[in-house]
Amino acid sequence: MLVKDYMTRHPVMVEPTMSIVEAQRIMSETKVRHLPVVETGKRLTGLVTRQTLRIPPTELASLNVWEITRFLSNLQLQDVMVKRKDVIFTDPDVALEAAAQVMIDHKIGALPVLEEGIVVGIITEIDMMTQLAELLGGNVPGVRATVRMPNRKGALAKLTGAISDQGWGIYASGGVPTPKDPKHWDCVLKIRNVSREDVIGVVESLQGYDIIDIR
Amino acid sequence: MTTIERTHAPILKVENAAISYETRYGDVEAVQDVSFNVHRAETFGVVGESGCGKSTVAFGIVDFLGPNGKIVGGSIKFQGQELVGRSQEELRKLRGDQISMVYQDPMQALNPSVTIGDQLAEVLTVHRGIPKEEAWQKSIEMLNRVYMPDSANVMGRYPHQISGGQQQRVVIAMALLNNPALLIMDEPTTALDVTVEAVVLDLIEDLKRDFDTAIVYITHDLGVVARVCNYVGVMYAGEMVEVGSVAAIYKNPQHPYTQGLMRCVPKLGATKEGSILYPIRGRVPAPKDRPKGACIFAPRCDYATEHCLSEKPQLRELERGHSARCFYAETIDASAWEPPQGLVPELTMEGDEDGREPIITLKDVKTYYEQESKSLLSLVGAGEKLYVKAVDDVSLEVPPGKTLGVVGESGCGKSTLAKTIIGLETPRDGEAKFLGFDLTVPVSQRDVKLIEELQMVFQNPDSTMNPSYSVGHQIGRPLRRFKAVPGDQVREEVIRLLNAVRLDGSYYHRLPRQLSGGEKQRVGIARAFASRPDLVLCDEPVSALDVSVQAAVLNLLMEIQDEYDTTMMFIAHDLSVVRFFSDYVAVMYLGHIVEIGPAEAIYAPPYQPYTEALLSAVPIPDPAAEQKHIRLHGTVPSALNPPSGCPFHTRCPRREILPDGGKICEEEAPPWQYNTDEHRIFCHIPLEELRKMEPVVTTD
Repeated sequence: MLVKDYMTRHPVMVEPTMSIVEAQRIMSETKVRHLPVVETGKRLTGLVTRQTLRIPPTELASLNVWEITRFLSNLQLQDVMVKRKDVIFTDPDVALEAAAQVMIDHKIGALPVLEEGIVVGIITEIDMMTQLAELLGGNVPGVRATVRMPNRKGALAKLTGAISDQGWGIYASGGVPTPKDPKHWDCVLKIRNVSREDVIGVVESLQGYDIIDIR
Repeated sequence: MTTIERTHAPILKVENAAISYETRYGDVEAVQDVSFNVHRAETFGVVGESGCGKSTVAFGIVDFLGPNGKIVGGSIKFQGQELVGRSQEELRKLRGDQISMVYQDPMQALNPSVTIGDQLAEVLTVHRGIPKEEAWQKSIEMLNRVYMPDSANVMGRYPHQISGGQQQRVVIAMALLNNPALLIMDEPTTALDVTVEAVVLDLIEDLKRDFDTAIVYITHDLGVVARVCNYVGVMYAGEMVEVGSVAAIYKNPQHPYTQGLMRCVPKLGATKEGSILYPIRGRVPAPKDRPKGACIFAPRCDYATEHCLSEKPQLRELERGHSARCFYAETIDASAWEPPQGLVPELTMEGDEDGREPIITLKDVKTYYEQESKSLLSLVGAGEKLYVKAVDDVSLEVPPGKTLGVVGESGCGKSTLAKTIIGLETPRDGEAKFLGFDLTVPVSQRDVKLIEELQMVFQNPDSTMNPSYSVGHQIGRPLRRFKAVPGDQVREEVIRLLNAVRLDGSYYHRLPRQLSGGEKQRVGIARAFASRPDLVLCDEPVSALDVSVQAAVLNLLMEIQDEYDTTMMFIAHDLSVVRFFSDYVAVMYLGHIVEIGPAEAIYAPPYQPYTEALLSAVPIPDPAAEQKHIRLHGTVPSALNPPSGCPFHTRCPRREILPDGGKICEEEAPPWQYNTDEHRIFCHIPLEELRKMEPVVTTD
């Protein structure tokens, strides 16, 4: 689970001299929200997001309607983009959760992925969420059970052991500490080709394990 | 994966593109109303016969159309940016950086006077500004990535010093150095041998997966499409007539043209009956002759109605992601199709008359080419002579009225064998008998009677016809020469022959340049059969032709053979064509026949390991077919210095079966093992082991 496995390769890239009107059009045409700005050889020189394209009204306040048109059509991406030194980026060999942490810390929606200064991809919050959905088996049919269990070593192994003893396969799983309860751990399991009742039966046979949600 | 990919906009979006060429007849619309999308890590195949506008589409994407070509309508968007109307300068930048191309002939893409290393590194130093040493290092890495053997060494070589398959790998490596978002491949494997093609196609698959590159793959070969493409667009006469996923189109082709194409491709099935070819009647119209305001395929369509001739159908979606340009796509049932009268020859298929003496017998024939030795002694004639053993110890026989197919990679000696029989090369040793004549005599000393009975159809009809003589004259020449008919009847006989190859009398006065490729090959066939020969050698007679024409020519050959009871030797590299056409098949490798027998026996176990590898490399036009994955590594060894023992031991994937990893294969020439009286295999591996192997191809 490294950035290089989940990033979008060949992101849509633009040149610093492109007009912001054109960039707006490309964003809506390709449905992307972040455009790495590159020079020759795909070297990163800036980043354009929908926010950077939003011109503060104060800048336009002193202009009349004709001047606004001219002002906008002359405006190039290099005038508004986030400059290279301020762009927060990542590396293809970074772990996915580490990249996520960077995005959380800076409260940003995307990281260009650079290899020696050259843009090789981009990873966005959508990519992260896609992985979350995949991680929990969101796209496949099956029984999804959330099991609350004691927070101690071997607890998960006992649960998965009981399930595999039935000959069932766990398609996806994920675990987090129970919110506001450090003694427990919540685990989501996606099991295919079984009925709800079967899963409830197996979990209830285990001491200290509760199903808090099943669907 | 697909769930992720689909959320992105396509890398390339072509909408209603129309491309014209300015000619002296005015603007000719080569391509009209073509639309398709290509996503990341997807291969979009563009397939069709020659002259359908496939390459024009590819060139149009990057505006490589030449001074007289122009995009006259529609839009081509790459990553959201319009490419139509961009300046050459902007496009050049984009091409180097984000769009790459691979063409059919690698030798034309490489500079012959610059080493491979310099050419590769230049891509990085020019487009990326990477320092030379680093660029060199990265180039070596990329060569490794395309499985180039001995890559560091290859960097210092010139293009002519490596094989064709390796050249194409260099071109692919060069195209990938900049990590392009879009790769356009125009028939990248057409010039390669089938075993090399298989390796290159595997490579393309791997690269697509690892680099997430969007690929536009242009080819005429439906088998290749089935192997590498996810989506396919079928082009006919400049329009896209059907678009959809490979699985949908192969399983359920909706447009009559697609259905017709599928029927005229030989399939590597298990039986001969299952591989009857049905050509599409007529031919692709030239751009200026295309029907206006009507369905372009209507003149050749078996289902055409008045409606098709009075209105142009639009490309409409039949099911999700599968569209066709036909009014009746839903109502046409391809399985209920019956070939129209006369499309397929009705062969009498006489029962096997066993015991008929073979018409031609070769025994231990050796044809060697003398090689100039570089030593000083050879200047005075005292040096040791070196020989290219082009044909070595070849023995075969063909019963009258039957067809022997000869297959093998290029350089295996197929054509030398044909030349030896026809008398253009003289064998050094061995016996060759044909109807009591001795075939070891060169053609200049042969009896006219023998020449009359032994004729040849060549691969390239362009270079075998004299461009300044009319068709009638050229067919008439053998008739006069052999006095096959009285002098005053030559003209009638020529017209009769023209009719036999389905050309009418008006062709008598035409010159070769006024004929299409298929027509030229028909004239070539008529000329070969003019003297009513007993044996006709066909050297790759259909490999230069389009599939629908190929089917017609093959059927024609079979029909004529049936009528005259002619014996044929059919040399080809395409195993599926040979399967369809031959009664017996000989597989050649490095001058030796390694397996020979009835066609059914060759295509089923036991296989000689080389035959098995060849069969496993053939692209099958059926994505559902299961095919064994055997790939040959390395190149065919030089015939100047062939490996000791079994010629195939350097590349054999099966020799491990034998004790000591097949040591015996290097030391001793293998024995001929007889599976049946007629089917023999040249291999050390015991027949019982060979029989245990699974069939290479399994279809449902």
